[in-house]
Amino acid sequence: MHQHLSPLAWFEGFGVHKSILDTVLAEATARGADDADLYLEHTTSTAVGLSDGVVDRAHTTIDLGMGVRVVVGNQVGYAYTEDLSLESMLEAARTARAIAHDHSGTPPVRTEPRGPVADYYPVDRHWSDVDLSLRVPMIRAWEERAFASDARIDKVQAMMADADKHVLIVRADGLIHADYRPMTRGFVSVTALADGQRESGSYNVSSRGDLTYYDEARQHRMVDRAVERALRALDAGSPPAGEMPVVLAAGSSGILLHEAIGHGMEADFNRKDISIYASKLGKSIAPSEVTIVDDATLPHARGSLNVDDEGSPTERTVLVDHGVLRTYLHDRISARHYQVPSTGSGRRESFRHPVLPRMRSTYMEPGPHEPEALIRSVKRGLYCEVFANGAVQIGAGDFSFYVRHGRLIEDGKLTEPVKDVNLIGNGPEVLEAIQMVGNDLEIDEGGWTCGKGGQGVPVSQGMPSVLVGKLSVGGGRA
Amino acid sequence: MSRFDGDDLLPLARHVLERARALGADEVSVSVSRGSHVTIQRRDRMVEQATEAITQGLVLALLADDRYTSNATSDLRPEALEPFIARCVQTASFIEPDPYRRLPDAALCGRGVSEEALDQDDPAWGRRTASDRAAQAEAIEEAILASARTDQVSCSSYVADGRGETVRVLSNGFADRTSGAWFSAGGDITLSEGDRRPEAGASYSARHLSDLPDPEQIAAAAQERVAHRLGSGAAPSGAYPMLLENRCAGRILGVLAAPMSGSALHQGRSCLMDRLGTQIASEHLTLIDDPTIPRGLGSQPWDGDCLIARPRTLIEGGVLRSYNIGVYFARKLGVEPTGGGRSNWVIAPGERDLQQMAAELDRAVLVTGFLGGNSNPSTGDFSYGIRGLLLERGEIVQSLSEMNVSGNILQLLGQLVEVGSDVWGWSSVRAPTLRFEGVQFSGT
Repeated sequence: MHQHLSPLAWFEGFGVHKSILDTVLAEATARGADDADLYLEHTTSTAVGLSDGVVDRAHTTIDLGMGVRVVVGNQVGYAYTEDLSLESMLEAARTARAIAHDHSGTPPVRTEPRGPVADYYPVDRHWSDVDLSLRVPMIRAWEERAFASDARIDKVQAMMADADKHVLIVRADGLIHADYRPMTRGFVSVTALADGQRESGSYNVSSRGDLTYYDEARQHRMVDRAVERALRALDAGSPPAGEMPVVLAAGSSGILLHEAIGHGMEADFNRKDISIYASKLGKSIAPSEVTIVDDATLPHARGSLNVDDEGSPTERTVLVDHGVLRTYLHDRISARHYQVPSTGSGRRESFRHPVLPRMRSTYMEPGPHEPEALIRSVKRGLYCEVFANGAVQIGAGDFSFYVRHGRLIEDGKLTEPVKDVNLIGNGPEVLEAIQMVGNDLEIDEGGWTCGKGGQGVPVSQGMPSVLVGKLSVGGGRA
Repeated sequence: MSRFDGDDLLPLARHVLERARALGADEVSVSVSRGSHVTIQRRDRMVEQATEAITQGLVLALLADDRYTSNATSDLRPEALEPFIARCVQTASFIEPDPYRRLPDAALCGRGVSEEALDQDDPAWGRRTASDRAAQAEAIEEAILASARTDQVSCSSYVADGRGETVRVLSNGFADRTSGAWFSAGGDITLSEGDRRPEAGASYSARHLSDLPDPEQIAAAAQERVAHRLGSGAAPSGAYPMLLENRCAGRILGVLAAPMSGSALHQGRSCLMDRLGTQIASEHLTLIDDPTIPRGLGSQPWDGDCLIARPRTLIEGGVLRSYNIGVYFARKLGVEPTGGGRSNWVIAPGERDLQQMAAELDRAVLVTGFLGGNSNPSTGDFSYGIRGLLLERGEIVQSLSEMNVSGNILQLLGQLVEVGSDVWGWSSVRAPTLRFEGVQFSGT
């Protein structure tokens, strides 16, 4: 198995040996520093796509480089290079350390490679060992299934994208840690045509897994749900506008947690006192049915990490425990500021970016109610099933998310389908307005990407069915 | 890091092109880029983060036996490039033939405007030092602190700049180079209002350093915008006249970008199908894609297919005049390519500014920002979270948040009743304030 080689083995293939790493790190910390690290990355991504009945494109991207970070107090100097020659790495180290002006920090100790501390995404085969010819018949079968499922399906696009990401983290406190991070994403999008009207539907799945992730049931589900969504959209309208009770279906409605509380719990915003949650630690912020977790340890989840991007071990972090706010999401900078252990939440998009505290897989623990009971309790409201995207203002706490597919709730029953509506609310107010939590927690299998500070990182999210007493629904109907 | 010098990019691009052909590619496109950028962020009178890098990248697209692949790498070591090229050619063999993938006719390729006329490459970039950047960031932060309200809890400032150079070589004979610099500066302010931390900022980008506002202007704009976030809440749901602030117009006009694209038209996912030559907006809207604007943030001498960049009228007096169709989808759709990319979007301005328009409206929503939301290119339906101000005869009566604006883009553009004179110049979307009638907002 690849993971059991020396942590240094992968980058030795690029001529980067331990003595070089020690030299670069020594250069980075030559003026002193509270912390410093090197982050080496080699990622090979491949995407194969189909449209109009032809597997007509393949894309490969190779990313290779090293980022060097020097930390003095809360100050960060960062530089990166795509050239792994000693000369270029030393120059990056000198650029990054410009932030330190003869600072008397801890000098680095001798670095020491460590074995893997966890393996949340073991795989039998790396993606670079999977021949392209194995992927082509799979996506062709997705297309065939879509066209066969309904005569109204007019166009089909399908794609399979995967990546092998090798990272090596070398820290000034001596730790060296390597991680191999596989990722795959499958995507099906269809256009349905009926009576001159066109609508589209799509579905995607993503995992830190290998080719075995695509079992038959998952492949069928991808296609069937994309078709079902397109057909439903043909009959869907816009919901009424204004405030109303909202039932969030289990699964991808975890986007509400991500926007309403997740970002606000990232410790950098709280350290700077610019989050609405900055003064709420230890306080009750939601009904006692509500427990919210950010978890790096879910097997093969898109958001999982064996080790974070600054070498800290990862964990299952309870953000809200039975309604009480417990902890922020920390990287090493904020952990040092608050004098707590890191939660293993330090992440970066690539070697081109400095570390920030970020979410991994964010979900709510299940509650006591049958999901049907939530719908039954609503006289007139909205049932939200499929989400596209969300956003938040950290300071004001206002957040929104876009519902691609849903239904109206009338007299406790699901009625006509609706589509394309944005919902908006205030994070703390919405958490307090959670009235019922279902017993049907589902981690969404879709490929979510979280954006912050210009960096996108893969995340997962999940939710049981939840009833929120009041959200503002941006319907097109008065 | 090696010194920034683009002279070796063209030979590198030609070498990759020749190697790809030698290994079996019939048509080849190579792009090699190199750039450099710096960002300085300040908070609490300290540099919070300084990031600096020199970057490089190569994109190789090729056709071998009608099979297409596009590949990118940042690993430009000679010993890595040869296997990369070989792998690209081999990858193509797994793909099925696509007769529509062809390089454009060489006669269509070229430069529509000289580098001098584009004026993208400010020589001030090369003279800028670390202490210049530090001083500018510090001046912005100090200007914000000097003008701080008593309820200000935090502020930050940033400056960023960069320069990039790109060489493109096609096997049809096209070879050219373009370069440009960019500069940004801004500040953000957070206020305390109970548990809430209302925040806002001001941010500016330009091709030339001297076009950026001075630190006092940036601070004043940030202070004004954050003051407008205090006491925010939702107004009742309903239809209101909407004033769309000039710097926000890109989000609403951008709803048109997807349905205008060749890809969406070909997939049947466009609310603009079969609408060429028809009225899709009120007579007040004229929208031009102009890649030739001197110092324009979206300016370019050629587009992604290396087609000659030319100004193109997309909408004229409300009538749809052009889509955005690149070479590939033009072949699939059986039409001539228009040029596939979006460069600068310019709206022909009107007579009056925001204040003059607002003064005569009894009650109107001024949209000053968006929060999330999305649109459906198949139907044109959109729904966005908004921030803004409720105005009565030009006076602010309430700060608005937790509201959505929803509708259909074609219907909305039909409700455009006036185009302002106050064009926002620090964006590739050069729009003035836009005034609409009867727009649906959801709130309380």
